[in-house]
Amino acid sequence: MKYQPRALIAEVTHRCPLHCVYCSNPLEMRHRSEELSTKEWSSVFRQAGDMGMLQLHLTGGDPLARADLTELVRAGRSAGLYVNLITSGVGLDGARLDALIDAGLDHVQLSFQDMEEGPANEFAGARSHALKLRVAELIRERRTAFTVNIVVHRRNLERLVEMITFAERSGAQRLEIANVQYYGWAFRNREALLPTREQIARSIEIVEEARKRLKGRLRIDFVLPDYYAKYPKPCMNGWGHQQMLIDPAGRVLPCHAASIIPGLEFFRAPTHSLRWIWEDSPAFNRFRDESWMPEPCRTCERRSRDFGGCRCQALLLTGDAAATDPVCMLAPMHTVIEETLARVNTKGGAPPGQGWIYRIDPR
Amino acid sequence: MSEAAQDSVPRLAPGCRLNAAGGQEDLLLIPEGALRLKGPARAIIELCDGERALRQIVEELTRRYPSDDAARIKTEVMALLAHLRDRGVLQYV
Repeated sequence: MKYQPRALIAEVTHRCPLHCVYCSNPLEMRHRSEELSTKEWSSVFRQAGDMGMLQLHLTGGDPLARADLTELVRAGRSAGLYVNLITSGVGLDGARLDALIDAGLDHVQLSFQDMEEGPANEFAGARSHALKLRVAELIRERRTAFTVNIVVHRRNLERLVEMITFAERSGAQRLEIANVQYYGWAFRNREALLPTREQIARSIEIVEEARKRLKGRLRIDFVLPDYYAKYPKPCMNGWGHQQMLIDPAGRVLPCHAASIIPGLEFFRAPTHSLRWIWEDSPAFNRFRDESWMPEPCRTCERRSRDFGGCRCQALLLTGDAAATDPVCMLAPMHTVIEETLARVNTKGGAPPGQGWIYRIDPR
Repeated sequence: MSEAAQDSVPRLAPGCRLNAAGGQEDLLLIPEGALRLKGPARAIIELCDGERALRQIVEELTRRYPSDDAARIKTEVMALLAHLRDRGVLQYV
């Protein structure tokens, strides 16, 4: 295989007790009746193991919404995969966590929306913060490997220090501070979520100081918003290069958002083999090499590093998935980013959080 | 970072494990991905079982590779473990 897939992101359900204003799920979600069965997911995991994939990220929605989650973890482990559970934690008790660990769960990524209860519940659209604190305690008591994930944005970056302090004491080995990425529901709330340039600069200082202080104790991964970058991010490390995502109905995609790109046909895992979809399906090959690239990407020396950026972002911001990602300062459409940032960085320019558009539950 | 003491006992951090032996490549699986292991790294990590002290790990490797210079083995082990520790994937009991 020219491109060796490494990780499978399995959105085993879109059901979720939270309604986060920056959810990365697509606006059109899958209903419970469309979800793959335990047996179908197990077959998918076996195929992934056979293809040499290493990691299985069980995500959603919240995978805890599936009554068969323990079976799914077991199936992932028996397929030889490293099993990571990405969860809100809501509804997890000690007995269920023990069962998941017994089934071979390697790692838990627990999400937080803030470190102050009021805003945390506001962003989640649910009274979930206190429950999450208890779940963190359950995980710590069991010494299970765990990452605290906090999505940051304009309205909570001022509490970054508190977030780091919490992670430090939580027993987590890793803290992921991820700025919102503007797709799906987040794109609809973009103007209220985008941080200011000043906030970004300050947050970089805080994280750098914390990284030095906590070296060897707590690893901090920090994702900056690409709107403020000079060059685009190497989205998914390249389209169809290392990762694939399967939605609750079994549709195999190169990333979280690719279903919005018109003209691409995404096949379902139960009807087509994972290997065929990965190697031969037209959608996975559409942006894989460099032949699709327009100028300035086509002759840019960075094209093998960032692959022209994100196709979904290009579509959202220019209407053309084959355009240069407009966050790139060399992109012909870069002005759309500059205009957005100018609004956000004007005093009194960005709207407050009222009027959030909350993610709906597909139940 | 100061060098770990010879009687300290290393082990992999929670959530880190070696991939199955005998595969195409030797990997240390970690929460955010995998680290590719080169040369004797796998053998060294296998000895970091939370029971053996550093001194015993070096002794064991010296026994296994008698033709190698003991001082060099020790240097190599210490360098690998310091790197893994900084990366947060190895800790001392």
